[in-house]
Amino acid sequence: MFDPDAEYVRKAGAGDTRAAEALVRRHLPRMVGLARRMLNDGAEAEDVAQEVFLRVWREAPRWKPGAAKFDTWMHRVALNLCYDRLRRRREKADPDAGVHVADPAPLASEAWLASQRTAYVKAALDALPERQRAAIELVHFQDLTNIAAAETLEVSVEALESLLARGRRALKAALADVAHDLIGGADGVPRG
Amino acid sequence: MERARFEHLLDAYGADVARWPAAERAAGAAFAERHAVDLGAPVDEARSLDAMLNIVREPVADTAALAARVLAAAPVVRDNFDKRALWALAACAVFGVVLGYGGGVLAPTTDADDTLFVMAFEAPFVAPGEDG
Repeated sequence: MFDPDAEYVRKAGAGDTRAAEALVRRHLPRMVGLARRMLNDGAEAEDVAQEVFLRVWREAPRWKPGAAKFDTWMHRVALNLCYDRLRRRREKADPDAGVHVADPAPLASEAWLASQRTAYVKAALDALPERQRAAIELVHFQDLTNIAAAETLEVSVEALESLLARGRRALKAALADVAHDLIGGADGVPRG
Repeated sequence: MERARFEHLLDAYGADVARWPAAERAAGAAFAERHAVDLGAPVDEARSLDAMLNIVREPVADTAALAARVLAAAPVVRDNFDKRALWALAACAVFGVVLGYGGGVLAPTTDADDTLFVMAFEAPFVAPGEDG
C-alpha cells in the first residue's frame, strides 16, 4: 500500500522542518474543516487540529508504514477528538438550547439568506447519529475513498455504505420541506 | 451494472460518481447515461442532497497563525544534533580515561623512577629562608 505521506512523516520524525511544514500544509486545513463541520465551532476546531498535530509529532519518530495510511490515521484521531468534545457537550447540555433558525426578515439580505441556508443544513447534520455524520463527513466533505473512510471508522465497506445510506435518507427527510429554497439559492452546482 | 446495485451506490455515495468505489465508477456512469430517462427521480433526489450538503462546504479560513503554533511544537533537527554531540562528548571522555589508565598500567617503569618518586615525598620540607 503506497502512502504518499510516509516519507514526510519519517523525515518530520527525524526533525526535518521542511517535511513537517509539508505535512502541515497538506493536512492542517482539512483537519480544521472536518472539526469545524463536526463541532460547529471555529475555536474548538482549531484546538482539535492542533491536538491532532501534537499527536502527529509524538508518533512520527516511531511511525511504521503499512498498518494504515497516515491520512487515515489522522482522520481517525481527529474524529475521536471531535467525538470526545461532542460527548462532553451532551453531558452538560442545556435542554432548552438548540439550533435557532430565525424567521425570514421582510427585507432579508442575500447574506442573511445564505446564513439561514447554512444553518438549516448544519442543523440537519447535527441531528444525525454520530457515526452516520462521520461517514458523510469523510466521504462527502473530506473526499476519502470508500476504503479509507471505512478504515477510518474501523468498519467494513458494507457497514460504511449502510451508515452513508441511512444518513443521507435522514438528511433528505429533514430537509425535504426546504429543499427547493435551499437549492434555489445555493451557489454550488451539483457535481456529477 | 444491475439497477439494484446502481441504486444502492446512489443511496450511499450520492449522484457524483467521483465519490463511488473506484472499480464501479465507469460502469455507474455508463448505466446512468443509458438509463437517464427512467432513472430520473432517484438521481435528481441524490443530486439535490449533494447540492444541499455543498452549502456547508465552506472554505477553511486562513490557517497561517495556527500553522505557526503547530510547527512550533514539531521535532527539530537541533534536538538530534545536541543528542549526538552529547554522545560524542561522553565517548571522548570515556576514551580519555581508558587511554590514561591503560597508559599508566602498560608503560614500563624503572627503579630509578620509583626512587625519585619516593625521595620527592620523603624529603624533609624546608620552607624558603630556613636553610641557612
